[in-house]
Amino acid sequence: MPVLEYLANGLVFSSIIVLASIGLSLVYSIADFANFAHGDTMTVGAYAALATFGVVGGLGVSVLGLPLGFFVALAVGVVTAAVVAAATHKLVYESLDTDSIGLLITSIGVAFVYRALVQIRFGSDFTGFGIQVLRPIEALVPYGVRVTQHDVAIVVSAALLVGGLHLLLQHTDLGRKMRATADNPDLARVSGIRTARVKLWTWLIGAGLAGAGGVFLGLYNQLSPRMGFNILLVVFAAVILGGIGSVYGAMLGGFLIGMINQLTPLLSDVGIPIGIEYANAVAFVIMVAVLLVRPNGIAGEAAT
Amino acid sequence: MDLDPRAAWAGLTRAERGVVGFVAALAALLVFGLLTGGLAPTYFLYLLGLVGMYVLLSFGLNAQWGYTGLINFSVAAFFGLGAYGTALLTADSSPIAGGFNPLVGLVVGLALAAVVAVVIGVPTLRLRADYLAIASLGLAEVVRLIVLNQREWTNGSAGLRGLPGFFEGWPVLATFPEAMPGLRIAVPFGATILLETPFWQALLNVGLVGVFVGASYLLLGRVHRSPWGRVLRTIRADEDLAEALGKDTYAFKMQSFVLGSVIMALAGVFYAHLNLFVSPGDFEPINTFYVWIAVILGGSGSNRGAMFGGFVVIAIREGTRFLNGAGFVPLDVAPLRLLVIGLLIVAVMRFRPQGVLPPQRELIWPGALGDADDAGTPRSAERGDPRE
Repeated sequence: MPVLEYLANGLVFSSIIVLASIGLSLVYSIADFANFAHGDTMTVGAYAALATFGVVGGLGVSVLGLPLGFFVALAVGVVTAAVVAAATHKLVYESLDTDSIGLLITSIGVAFVYRALVQIRFGSDFTGFGIQVLRPIEALVPYGVRVTQHDVAIVVSAALLVGGLHLLLQHTDLGRKMRATADNPDLARVSGIRTARVKLWTWLIGAGLAGAGGVFLGLYNQLSPRMGFNILLVVFAAVILGGIGSVYGAMLGGFLIGMINQLTPLLSDVGIPIGIEYANAVAFVIMVAVLLVRPNGIAGEAAT
Repeated sequence: MDLDPRAAWAGLTRAERGVVGFVAALAALLVFGLLTGGLAPTYFLYLLGLVGMYVLLSFGLNAQWGYTGLINFSVAAFFGLGAYGTALLTADSSPIAGGFNPLVGLVVGLALAAVVAVVIGVPTLRLRADYLAIASLGLAEVVRLIVLNQREWTNGSAGLRGLPGFFEGWPVLATFPEAMPGLRIAVPFGATILLETPFWQALLNVGLVGVFVGASYLLLGRVHRSPWGRVLRTIRADEDLAEALGKDTYAFKMQSFVLGSVIMALAGVFYAHLNLFVSPGDFEPINTFYVWIAVILGGSGSNRGAMFGGFVVIAIREGTRFLNGAGFVPLDVAPLRLLVIGLLIVAVMRFRPQGVLPPQRELIWPGALGDADDAGTPRSAERGDPRE
């Protein structure tokens, strides 16, 4: 059984899910609604990177099989996703006089607008960055693990971003304010924290991470206007598994769901007739089971 | 109730006048299309059938979201289950058991939806509202994946063909379209209109959906005013209050969820015998959100609003197709439609979150309304939103 191979793939896929689920969890805790436009924010980031990469192309030397231009494109994708989401927050969500359910429904409309605009500009076909597909790293093939340098690049970049977020949350002023606002917005406000500004930063950071996740998803698979919406439920599963509102829970949940997703072939290897076409279904069923048994997730706080 | 049109017009709210104006303008446009030959009568009836289908779906969602406040994002799943339930029993190409009477298909389709509604409801209806949204969307996706991948049961992505019309095997109605004579109508200033077998077939379908819609409307209107409906409205407004009053809110939510799901499945059964073809594409999440826009635009909890919403959805679907076909907009239909739907959702939530026709008089017993009129109470006094 090529368990090692599944685990390696799981690690790569988890990295993408972790990036997406952190952003979703941050927004869930501070803006207090399930943001159904999060998946399409990933799509926006991925396509912004695609457009940039078309311009800067194979700029400069290559790192881990990726030209330097790709990292420029990645940065543009992150910034675009962040700016688009923050602008949506300012223009749409902030002007609404409604509860979290109303915001949830609105976010579906926002998701459709993002996706429609991407589809109008770039067409509905699958596309890719057009970077040459690499051969698996030779040194690992004897162990049955076939990963490329691109996969390593995804995992390393995700680890750097997650580590950076950890430092931000724990050791900077903004991070402390964000945690305080997520914990108790009213108390944070009377303590003199400008919560509106913290909220905006949360949107920027959360959507930026989603944009990075989208770019890596496009590198790992392909790009299509539906890529974000298709992965949204898997990301929700990760966030719920980890516990809504907990950034570290989202990391853990993203890791577990990504692994489970890629380990689904094991089920048919051991004789359970559930094929890989049900990889996402398995994640959703786990999500519902977690909601039933432990609605606050692995790292969630006490019942609210 | 007086029948003086001027008084009736004066008795309408501004929103109601707007809706009447919109419907009148749309009807005028369609009649114009019919008379000039731009719109084939058979296609017009087909569209009318689709409107009826969306109205049914909106009724179903209304029973869940509008009455009880359940965020159900698995509308497409119940619609698809109704369609597949009847298709698997009646279609020639069914891999399970084809050739049954469509009435059997109707019963099985509705029963299938009811069973799945209980199965989905048991784990999800105890959850917080926003979790229910996520979980129901996830479970709908599971249903879609099963239908797509279990080829030995469902034919997979090829779908099911060769369904009979709904009235196959009925005494008179089965042969009604063939038995009717072909008509030629010469319009003075337009093309000649031909009414032949497909037209009568389509007319029969519209009659069928009319019966479905009418029956559901009467049933839902009745239960909404009943004590049972009052509990649902209390749950929507304040679930803790309903619990404090000794109501088993979980049981009420389950009943409302199953009721709504069965009505959605009814729409699916109708669609299967209208289109004579079903495929896993019917389970696409976008279909769920078409119904959502119909309900929130029309006014959550209002069945009149749901009817209006059904018209608007078809107007969007066909309007984007028309704009595209006429070359006004150099865009594909799919993203254009998505853009319109998305903008409409945002606009409704921003400018009129209660919808165009929020529930008003339908919450008052007709008898009570008559008494109030006799007593000379100004009608405007009754028209406040009872939820406020």
